[in-house]
Amino acid sequence: MAQQEITRDEIMAVFPTIAETMADALGCDVDDIKLDVSLIEGLDAESIDFLDMVFRLERAFKIKIPRGKIVENARGALSEAEFEQNGLVTDAGLAQLRAYLSEVPAERFRTPTKVKDIPRLFTPETFCKLVISAQRSAKAAS
Amino acid sequence: MADHFAAFSFVDRITGFTPGVRARGQFAVPAVLAAFPSCLVAEAVGQLAAWVAMAQADFRVRPVAALANEMRFHGDVPPGALLGLAVEIDSCDDEAVAYAGRATSGDALAIELLDCLGPMLPVAEFDSPGELAARFDLLRGPGATPGRFHGVPVPEIVRGAGVPGESLAAVLHVPAVAPFFADHFPRRPVFPATLLLDAQISLALQLAAEAPDLPAGTQPAPVRMTHVKMRSFIPPGEVLALDAQRAPTGGGAGQIMLSARANGMTVSTARLEYAPRRVA
Repeated sequence: MAQQEITRDEIMAVFPTIAETMADALGCDVDDIKLDVSLIEGLDAESIDFLDMVFRLERAFKIKIPRGKIVENARGALSEAEFEQNGLVTDAGLAQLRAYLSEVPAERFRTPTKVKDIPRLFTPETFCKLVISAQRSAKAAS
Repeated sequence: MADHFAAFSFVDRITGFTPGVRARGQFAVPAVLAAFPSCLVAEAVGQLAAWVAMAQADFRVRPVAALANEMRFHGDVPPGALLGLAVEIDSCDDEAVAYAGRATSGDALAIELLDCLGPMLPVAEFDSPGELAARFDLLRGPGATPGRFHGVPVPEIVRGAGVPGESLAAVLHVPAVAPFFADHFPRRPVFPATLLLDAQISLALQLAAEAPDLPAGTQPAPVRMTHVKMRSFIPPGEVLALDAQRAPTGGGAGQIMLSARANGMTVSTARLEYAPRRVA
């Protein structure tokens, strides 16, 4: 199913709450949370921090975010087999990933990209999109 | 395996159970103990939630301590007390269990846990799935024989440098051998997060007791612990560098930022809020 494009206005509407939530989870200043900072390389986030952030965002926005939802969203209309092969993102998958993570500078995408390294690309904007997507799903279901 | 389900197990009986949703239970704190720290009360609540989560997953996966957004300390639990335990499961799947819970001692609320999350890992890595399933049936039926817990050895904590009232460091030597490792967990011994929290609270209260703004005739008492985050497992024999940093909040109260590091890596972080309590 085609995903409706997420607008800049939508992102900026949720970003303040997301920045506060992330700063609380990471124990850093809210001013350190820029839309395009790498959560792992820029803010030293670890896997437990991602779990913490998703858990906090679910409560802050009263939404449910299934585990693995970011990668699922990033995959878009591609099937799992079209997106990855043997732990590596396919060419088609990489193109889709670049499109979904449009805020991430091109030089941060490696070739080949391992699926397990995808979280290294995540930024606060990635989580803004995740929340907006979950809000849309909840609205559609109600 | 005499220590399995004994040396670090804090649910004697599950008295109410709605699969995947909620449970009630009880634990008789042995009267012979010198004390029963609040962190072990929290452990009892967490263990009840773990039973619900493991049963929901047919004992394929089990939760491990990871995140506790808030623990509220309401009162001490004396040896000999009967703890009443209750948990409400917010969500539970093969990835994680999210829950809240509380423990009471008589009619008094002892502790509340809010917004806790435990990632699920394969049970077989830690314990026998079959033995756990059988134990769950026992707990849901007649219950386990009370009085199995005989206390935990106090880990060696060596006080280090600091600035009185502002910061304090210490080194915690996790024992290489202890009865609780046979229970937590039989196949993969892990230093319980709640014992680390207990040591960190002790350190924090030492720091707070030396603060110049603490009113005369009072001593600091924990009010709540927030942002508890366990980043990795702590094996037997580990040496942990503990750190406590205090920020006063007025009226003799304050918040203390706590961290524990092993081999230069942060293994846990938490924040403790305390308030002065008049010495009887």
